[in-house]
Amino acid sequence: MSTVVSDVRLARQLVRGSDRREWWRLALTAAGAALATGFALAAVALASVPSGFTVSVFHGLASQPGTRSGVIAGLLLVLVPVLAFLGQCTRIGAVHRDRRLAALRLAGATPWQVRRIAALETGLACLVGSAVATVFSVLLLLRLWNGPTALTWAGIALVAVGVPVLGAAAGALALRRVVASPLGWVRRVAPRTGRGPGTLFLCGLVLLAAVAPLAMSSGHSAGDRVHWQGPLTVFSLVVALGAGAVWLAGATARFTGRLLAERAGTAAPLLAAERLRDDPYAPARTHAAVLVVTVAGTAFLCIRHAMLTELRTREWHLGADMAYYTTGLDLTAAAVLVALAITLCGLAVGTAESLTTRRRALAAQVAAGVPRTVLNRALLLETALPLAPALLLAGVGGMAVGTWYSSLTGDGSLPWTALLVAPAVYGSCLLAAATALPLLGRSVRPGELRYV
Amino acid sequence: MTNGDTTGNAAQPLLASRGLVKAHGRTEALRGASVELRAGEILAVTGASGSGKSTLLHCLAGIVRPDAGSVTYAGRRLEELPEKRLSELRRTDFGVVFQFGQLIPELTALDNVALPLMLAGAGRVEARARAGEWLERFGVRGQEELRPGAMSGGQAQRASLARALVTGPKVVFADEPTGALDSLSAEQVMTALAHTARESGTAVLLVTHDAQVAAYADREVRLRDGAVAPLGVTA
Repeated sequence: MSTVVSDVRLARQLVRGSDRREWWRLALTAAGAALATGFALAAVALASVPSGFTVSVFHGLASQPGTRSGVIAGLLLVLVPVLAFLGQCTRIGAVHRDRRLAALRLAGATPWQVRRIAALETGLACLVGSAVATVFSVLLLLRLWNGPTALTWAGIALVAVGVPVLGAAAGALALRRVVASPLGWVRRVAPRTGRGPGTLFLCGLVLLAAVAPLAMSSGHSAGDRVHWQGPLTVFSLVVALGAGAVWLAGATARFTGRLLAERAGTAAPLLAAERLRDDPYAPARTHAAVLVVTVAGTAFLCIRHAMLTELRTREWHLGADMAYYTTGLDLTAAAVLVALAITLCGLAVGTAESLTTRRRALAAQVAAGVPRTVLNRALLLETALPLAPALLLAGVGGMAVGTWYSSLTGDGSLPWTALLVAPAVYGSCLLAAATALPLLGRSVRPGELRYV
Repeated sequence: MTNGDTTGNAAQPLLASRGLVKAHGRTEALRGASVELRAGEILAVTGASGSGKSTLLHCLAGIVRPDAGSVTYAGRRLEELPEKRLSELRRTDFGVVFQFGQLIPELTALDNVALPLMLAGAGRVEARARAGEWLERFGVRGQEELRPGAMSGGQAQRASLARALVTGPKVVFADEPTGALDSLSAEQVMTALAHTARESGTAVLLVTHDAQVAAYADREVRLRDGAVAPLGVTA
């Protein structure tokens, strides 16, 4: 116990004494934890609502057990980019803290102790974010619901504790590829390859192929019983989709890098292409989230169009108010937009992080006369080059899903706005990456040359 | 090698500073430093840690602007030039070599050396061909397609020298170029730098705290507390 207390004290001292914008990392981590806690608490509260209880929000959408499950599933899916963002924030510190970790090792800390201190730094930030979100969520819940059940409180407590624990684990995991030697070197243990995401993608597909038929057959014969096959199918689908997107993003970056590195005739594309070729999986997780949001956004617009067309033709025969149905669509649209916003924040944070990691090398380039405009262009191209083909594929994928749905339900017409999703997301990504340009200006200051 | 002679003589200096003052926050790194560098000359700037050597080099290379004083290069006052022009000057007339970090880790040695030529407008094929010649001259033959991380410290530093000299600069600024190398690699790097500089008539401003490295210079100035120490005064 005393070891943990002393580690907490040391972690606090290190953060307080840091001059490397650690507070930004902590603030972003706390914000990510607050978002994750908020969405998870909303899902937990809805899941614990007893049957027959009327939820006064969303035009009764959350009152019906069937649609309530859909809302809960939507909230849990939004949690995926939120957790990815949280993971991104925890990784900001992983390379930043190199000198500090090396100094700790030199002072006698074991590798495990170093990881524990890093985990505590992140966990404490998550605890603050989680506590703030829990307080606000509970106050809101008590306004909407007079008597939350014991299950609700248990779920709230679990989320409030679980998010900081998850954050701390992510903080420790962020260092798994980094070994701090007492001599002050910090190196990546092994280059990132696409093997991990590729294997996970295949595992997800195998699991999906195994459980999906079971889920479909149990769905036909189901009564009111809840079957395990359904959630497992959704889980395997999410795993396959997420890992597949990471693999696709990395593979596209590697392909684009290889293709352009050989053909680049000017400095900026050469710098961007070689960086992509060297470490194609560095931005893959963020880019994967962009791809998933693009597929979801494109498909959603098509599905929404088909559903609204169908609803309008049967408006007089509907069993409920039209708002009941449109609220569901609006909530889904809001979830897609929230996911996009969080993903763009993750992209901006990731770009800034990559600059901070390279600040000394960048400062040396500028000192050697490399114009800042070249570095600015190279930075934007690092995002623009791999995302262009990947988003094209994502847009085509989303349109395929939408076309399939439209052919099943409606007249087969597609909204032209769906075609704009991929270009709009592409433009937004470039803007998100461009938010790091002012930081690039600061990173290349000659003062950075003084840090060894 | 002569020691401490910082005032002009018959030859017009290529690069000169007068009364340079530069502070980093509350710490005054330079307090009126004046040095001159003549064309084709190798000048060593020595001094203890914190004496202002690197700051002097940064000011002379136009990387940082001094708080007071002036830097004149080929008759032009550097502090009056806009950042864009300074950047261009560092690309065309100056070459810089640091202890480490100037090679881009994602580029091969060949592309690293070709980069300044590409920035100057050369095509990639032509730039790579010329870069290859320079790498060969510095004994990095056969390592052209390696990335800096896969090269030894000495090889990487010789590639850095090739990169600094490939555009045919008038002045090379070298900040502790052998600071991270073993004695044998340091000797190879310094021999290559001194030989090439003398052959091409390039002036070199060499910042070092190593007396053996300073011995490669034609002349030495010693900094103490941000100013050039008078003759006979050790740092």
